[in-house]
Amino acid sequence: MADQLLDQFRDAIEGQIDFEGQRLAEMITTVLLGAAGIVAFFVGFLTQDIKLSVYIGLAGTALTFVAVVPPWPIYNKNPEEWLSSSSTAGITIDVDGQKVG
Amino acid sequence: MHSTLVRVQNVFGFFTTVAFTVAAVIALSTFIHPQAPSASVQLRNVQVVRGRPHYYSYKKEEYAHIKFDLDTDLNSLFNWNTKQVFLYLKAVYPSAKPNQPASEAIIWDAILASPSAPWHQNHYNHPVPKGTKSKTSKAKSKAKKEKKAESPYPPGEIHLSNQKPKYQITDISGKLQNRTDVVLELGWNVQPWVGALVWTNKKTYGAWEGLKGGVTETFDFPEIGKKMKDLEVDKGKEGYRLEVGGEHPVIKGRKA
Repeated sequence: MADQLLDQFRDAIEGQIDFEGQRLAEMITTVLLGAAGIVAFFVGFLTQDIKLSVYIGLAGTALTFVAVVPPWPIYNKNPEEWLSSSSTAGITIDVDGQKVG
Repeated sequence: MHSTLVRVQNVFGFFTTVAFTVAAVIALSTFIHPQAPSASVQLRNVQVVRGRPHYYSYKKEEYAHIKFDLDTDLNSLFNWNTKQVFLYLKAVYPSAKPNQPASEAIIWDAILASPSAPWHQNHYNHPVPKGTKSKTSKAKSKAKKEKKAESPYPPGEIHLSNQKPKYQITDISGKLQNRTDVVLELGWNVQPWVGALVWTNKKTYGAWEGLKGGVTETFDFPEIGKKMKDLEVDKGKEGYRLEVGGEHPVIKGRKA
């Protein structure tokens, strides 16, 4: 019981996502932060108000943190299927042309 | 990006890159903002007095007290990246020895805040010109004081007449009387929100024109206790009558 709770707690902290999710998270980070920077500069330049630039930049960054950091379900849509420990029979694993296991 | 901590580090890391890049672009964007500063400085009066640097000093030095007129139009120095402009007026005079560079001493300065800067006690408050004082009640003016002190002119505009110097200047030798070829010269630093400090530019670089004017004609520091040579300013009516017409003041009951 205590172990289960601890596992859940550790999973929540670690917030692991799958490989496709990692690719997606990386992309969203780049696009959101880059867009926030560009929008911040141009809006500030057109309104001649540097404070607006700062606030847009910070808001964009906050948005990126919220969008990327928690393990949202969208990042776990393609879970990796692990081999079970009992089903190794019948499957051969090649490493550099040599049969292992 | 597999765990929360790694994602936090990645996002923050790229955020610093973006922030630095945007700041650099903002700093560069000020170069396409055209500048055309102009100013006129005029000497009003200069006196040299003997004094001590502080109360307990045995050393006596000579101090110059220079009054001036200043009219500036530095509005174009205030772009979206300007935080404040440090404006100063310096007296420049040749050193006693000919092989030494000219001496410079600041006699007046002001911190001109841009509208984007928060209020600070050291910011310059332009005096309200005579005759245009607002008729607001005391309660209203008090409420205004708590806000920003409002200047009668835009941030880069200054119109000072017969302004007293902020600092009385002396020389390293302690002797200042009878110096010749003195000029007053206007200078400034533009302090941006991000980017480099920019000093007075006299030459034109691209969209930035150099300062027009901002230097007085040469004058001399007078002898101690003597007033400077007559500046040939108009005197009042009474002065004219006694000098030009040569009439004596009419006294009642007598005939000339």
